[in-house]
Amino acid sequence: MTAQVDFDDVKVGDEIPVRSKVVKREDVKAYADASGDQNPLHQDDSFAQMVGFPGIIAHGMFTMAHLTSTLTGWVGDPAALKSVDVQFRAVVYMDETIEAGGRISELDPDARTAKLDVWVRLERDGVTEYPIKNSTAEVQLA
Amino acid sequence: MPLNTQLIGKTYDEIEFAVERDRVNQFLDAIGDDTPVFRDPEAAKAAGYADQVAPPTFITVIQMMTSSQVVLDKELGLDYSRVVHGVQSYAYERPLVVGDVISATPRLTSIETRRSNEFLTIESEVHDANGELVLTARSTLISRGTGGP
Repeated sequence: MTAQVDFDDVKVGDEIPVRSKVVKREDVKAYADASGDQNPLHQDDSFAQMVGFPGIIAHGMFTMAHLTSTLTGWVGDPAALKSVDVQFRAVVYMDETIEAGGRISELDPDARTAKLDVWVRLERDGVTEYPIKNSTAEVQLA
Repeated sequence: MPLNTQLIGKTYDEIEFAVERDRVNQFLDAIGDDTPVFRDPEAAKAAGYADQVAPPTFITVIQMMTSSQVVLDKELGLDYSRVVHGVQSYAYERPLVVGDVISATPRLTSIETRRSNEFLTIESEVHDANGELVLTARSTLISRGTGGP
């Protein structure tokens, strides 16, 4: 299988389709079980409040999984994702809507690869927060 | 209390892990990804893979085992309730597929102090049963408030 996005069809500055998702408590619980990360910060509201949050927060890796699904969904082949480098910069609470996106920052015509700036953002009380920012990915295009 | 920087460079025990179908499906349910090459062995084979492909962050399942050796190392002096995940990066040679048996050896590569926080970085190279490199994972954990005097 190869990428479904052709190198000749993209240019620097292009954005990939944004993917949104509402973060549900039951999904975060399912993620704790699937990943093995049973930190109470992601399951127990009273614990989360004890360490200064209003309620439980999603795992950083849960948010990152939504970003990589967005990338592989766009490029069309999981093998086309060559690298991803993510910084976690804000928390995600339950029932918030996260939006993953990316913008092509660099193209290598010899290797037919693209580098992207990638992010996950959300709106909270009229402010845009970035749970993932200053982050990059590299993909192999067709 | 600051972390024990004497441990920088320490290599921990190798962890072996089999990529099992049920575990991949459970992970896909949790992240809500229904891409056919992840979900369906036939779609994966039609696309040229040996079996269902594990999604890019599935490796976090084995990292819970590799990183916990570092996090729980008594000599390090880390208080896990102060820890948040700062950075995660992966460099892939190929995707994992169901049936892969992989091994990872974590190494504590750095501990840096920035303001009152300490940043510890753990790197693991993940190899398959043939000894081929599959991916390299790098995680930075932030120990909040332990970097001060």
